[in-house]
Amino acid sequence: MSLSAYVPIVGLFALAGAFGLFSVAAAPFIGPRRFNRAKLDAYECGIEPTPQPIGGGRFPVKFYLTAMLFIVFDIEIIFLYPWAVSFNMLGVFGFVEMVIFIITVFIAYTYVWRRGGLDWD
Amino acid sequence: MTPMWYIVLAAVLFSIGAVGVLVRRNAIVLFMCVELMLNAANLALVTFSRINGTLDGQIMAFFAMVVAAAEVVIGLAIIMLIFRTRRSASVDDANLLKY
Amino acid sequence: MVKLPPMDYAAIMPLLILFGAACLGVLIEAFVPRRARNITQLLFSLAAVIAAMVFVVKRAGNVTAANAITAGGAITIDKAALFLQGSLLVLAFVSLLIFGERTLEQGGAFVAQAAVTVGSEKDKEQAAKSLGSTEVYPLALFSLAGMLLFVAANDLLTMFVALEVFSLPLYLLCALARRKRLLSQEAALKYFLLGAYASAFFLFGVALVYGYAKAVDFASIHTAAAVGAGNITLLITGLGLLAIGLLFKVAAAPFHVWTPDVYQGAPTPVTAFMAACTKAAAFGGLIRVLYVGFDGLGWQFTPVLGAIAALTVMVGAVLAVTQTDLKRLLAYSSVANAGYLLIGVLAGGQLGLQSVLFYLVAYGLTVIAAFALITLVRDADGEATHLSRWAGLGARSPLFAGIFTFLLLAFAGIPLTSGFMAKLSVFGAAVDGGQTWLVIFGVISSIILAFPYLRVVVMMWLSEPGESTPSVSLPGVLTSTALGVGTIATLVLGVAPGLLLDLADKAAAFIR
Repeated sequence: MSLSAYVPIVGLFALAGAFGLFSVAAAPFIGPRRFNRAKLDAYECGIEPTPQPIGGGRFPVKFYLTAMLFIVFDIEIIFLYPWAVSFNMLGVFGFVEMVIFIITVFIAYTYVWRRGGLDWD
Repeated sequence: MTPMWYIVLAAVLFSIGAVGVLVRRNAIVLFMCVELMLNAANLALVTFSRINGTLDGQIMAFFAMVVAAAEVVIGLAIIMLIFRTRRSASVDDANLLKY
Repeated sequence: MVKLPPMDYAAIMPLLILFGAACLGVLIEAFVPRRARNITQLLFSLAAVIAAMVFVVKRAGNVTAANAITAGGAITIDKAALFLQGSLLVLAFVSLLIFGERTLEQGGAFVAQAAVTVGSEKDKEQAAKSLGSTEVYPLALFSLAGMLLFVAANDLLTMFVALEVFSLPLYLLCALARRKRLLSQEAALKYFLLGAYASAFFLFGVALVYGYAKAVDFASIHTAAAVGAGNITLLITGLGLLAIGLLFKVAAAPFHVWTPDVYQGAPTPVTAFMAACTKAAAFGGLIRVLYVGFDGLGWQFTPVLGAIAALTVMVGAVLAVTQTDLKRLLAYSSVANAGYLLIGVLAGGQLGLQSVLFYLVAYGLTVIAAFALITLVRDADGEATHLSRWAGLGARSPLFAGIFTFLLLAFAGIPLTSGFMAKLSVFGAAVDGGQTWLVIFGVISSIILAFPYLRVVVMMWLSEPGESTPSVSLPGVLTSTALGVGTIATLVLGVAPGLLLDLADKAAAFIR
């Protein structure tokens, strides 16, 4: 097996690295700069770091909502992978089916967005 | 090693889950037991797929996973609803409906 | 290139319409202003159900053995499937009318935001003034579409997915009652946990059958079972696990324990929808599995299912006697009815199938009317479902008490009602099919079951109305229509059942 098969992967790594560098480099020029104490704290997946959050270890219900939404939208990927692997064989019909599938997911997304499921407060 | 052992494992996992639903009291744990049963079924599907030499079983496992995820979301929503009102997820506390 | 499976779009059009309408309903929920939502959603879902019905009727004219199986072998639209789909659509149409009722209570029977904690300030606020939730319409449509798919599934995987598609929205619908929210949430929790448990059994059954037959479509299972090669234990165990999942959905004893709790706790329109449609869909799936998939086993399972049927009719009837809540009473009556239907299933043959199909429609229409009437008897706390509260209702409102008496007589199987014809055809088929011992159980159970019905009738007519007798609200157009359709159908199917029996006779044929 020749190494040329790995070229796309190397390309992907390069692209990912370039995107990271670009984002970090561009942020100071484009983004607004507002001071916020939270920005200086240690990063712990969105939860306020020690001492324990208010209420002795109970998390606001919003976390559960976000987690549930994540599960729903995350699991759709399971159908995208097999399709992507056999894309060439499935042809236009498969593509159209996948577009329809994504539209249905998008409908759910629209609903969540309009009804405030994505608002934190 | 024959793939049949995986079927045995699946059956054992399924039984653990089935018994767990009957003996545990916390709704979340009950729910995890149900998930264990679903995943045991997935394991059985994939193993039979290997034994039968057809891919159908693996595809079925995909569908079962998606269905299970949808079930998780709905289940957690309902359990949370109960928990926020009662401050308890024990199924023994949910006893207003009887006789 | 992969060869694409042939798709007969004319055959699956009802499914596409309902799923599409449910998705659009979600968008309506997102974009239409709050005040206009209820009427928009109601009209839209009713239109979708009618459109699906049109395609079912159109299809019924030109279905043949050759064009029944479609969608790559996943779906069979044969005559039995079309009959079941048609009846599901009719039953769902009538239940949706009760869903839409807004005149009995401001905002209807559903809570605006189920996520608001019971008893909190926000809860009091939303109970006082807010409009009801309208997500119930897309949820009901999703559920209905799942049921239509369930009765037409040609393999066990499609069946499992359809089972979940029609169950998951029902779990949510159960939690959405406006009054007595704690009961409603508890019903949803119990229904969900036990439902998920049963569907896990179903899935493991699918896996075992797949291991035996190397495929999950009914034709392959039938062939493999008829040949009988390999480890037959896998097949029998698989069928047993599948049966647990299905018998749970039809509410057969000993898998019926969820029924009374869920029927009582769920909002009454949802209870009506479940009692009529879930029963029809679940029996549609059960007869397809038994007649099409496992026919090759030569009906060795008849004694086991027979024992379950006998247990179901007795448990339903005996426990109905002890009930003090009308919704629970009807729930146990629905358990007993599941038993009568099982007797029809075990009768086998053309006659058995015909009687089951007829029974499903007749029972469904009566039960919807009965629950529609229960939504009318109200006091300050919402519906008054305790039996003692119904005492003396005959004097308060002779018309509604009269209608309810008629419906109860139909449940009891008195002649000139659809209940009589349905029971007669089921028991007749069972005697023909050599299951006389089941008929004996069925008749004993019917006699026991007549007692609680008559007790309600006696209470309504012979007691004096007291201080606490609730008033009967005047129904709006929607509930009146549902009530009228159900009652008239109960009468017509009892007096002149020929038309529907003929239709069921023509439909009683599966294609493998």
